[in-house]
Amino acid sequence: MVGEESDAQFQFTGIKKYFNISYTLMGRMNYVLAIYGGIALMVLYFKLRSKKTPAVKATQMGLYISDFIC
Amino acid sequence: MNENLFASFITPTLMGLPVIILIVAMPNIFIPSSNRLLTNRVLTLQRWLIQLILKQMMAMHNNKGRSWSLMLISLIIFIGSTNLLGLSPHTFTPTTQLSMNLGMAIPLWAGAVILGFRHKTKSSLAHFLPQGTPVPLIPMLIIIETISLFIQPMALAVRLTANITAGHLLIHLIGGATLALLSISVPTALVTLIILILLTILEFAVALIQAYVFTLLVSLYLHDNA
Repeated sequence: MVGEESDAQFQFTGIKKYFNISYTLMGRMNYVLAIYGGIALMVLYFKLRSKKTPAVKATQMGLYISDFIC
Repeated sequence: MNENLFASFITPTLMGLPVIILIVAMPNIFIPSSNRLLTNRVLTLQRWLIQLILKQMMAMHNNKGRSWSLMLISLIIFIGSTNLLGLSPHTFTPTTQLSMNLGMAIPLWAGAVILGFRHKTKSSLAHFLPQGTPVPLIPMLIIIETISLFIQPMALAVRLTANITAGHLLIHLIGGATLALLSISVPTALVTLIILILLTILEFAVALIQAYVFTLLVSLYLHDNA
């Protein structure tokens, strides 16, 4: 595309070089990767947060077994 | 009546053995081939048709995309001939089975996407974010573009299945209605018969158009990635 080829003439420095969102190919690619990374981190955070401690797990298991016997 | 309506979509078996492989291989019998330079009329016509489709479909591709020409031509001829043969009475049409269409759509789409990610990684990833998108919309748009990418093979398969199945069902229904109306009211039965004839002509067109649409979309996915 002409737009992407002519981006080379624009000298972006600093963070704008890597995150010039939605105009350069590199900027767009980095933004996409950042969003995917962000989603992966969020999923990981919620997965780890929902893990219960062993003591709580044991108590809940005991309650479940007692309900089953009764 | 209800059972008969869906009976034509059941995969046929012969003495307990599936004949689906024979049915899928059958259109090949109607497509002759020859190693001669100057062929007979049928083969010349076939060659002309293939060249017509090739010129129209592969003109936009680069050399790498054109290496898929044989695959795409085989695909359009297979789907077109299978759909047309299925319009004969009491025949089984393999393209009414979603499993078969998914089996065609997913590998072709995945091949094109993997090709794009392998050879043009930056461009393929940047594709998820259209140029000039406003900043607040970016995260949502990337998610939407990702979902739309994964929906492509599903849409490809379901489109073909639904079109062919719906057409066959309609022919069954209207044909049954025509027969039923024959003993009740002959003029109404005649009107229904005319509708049936028009529908059959439409189904012939749909059979060819769906083959073209399937192949064209695969070609477009390839063009985006090759």
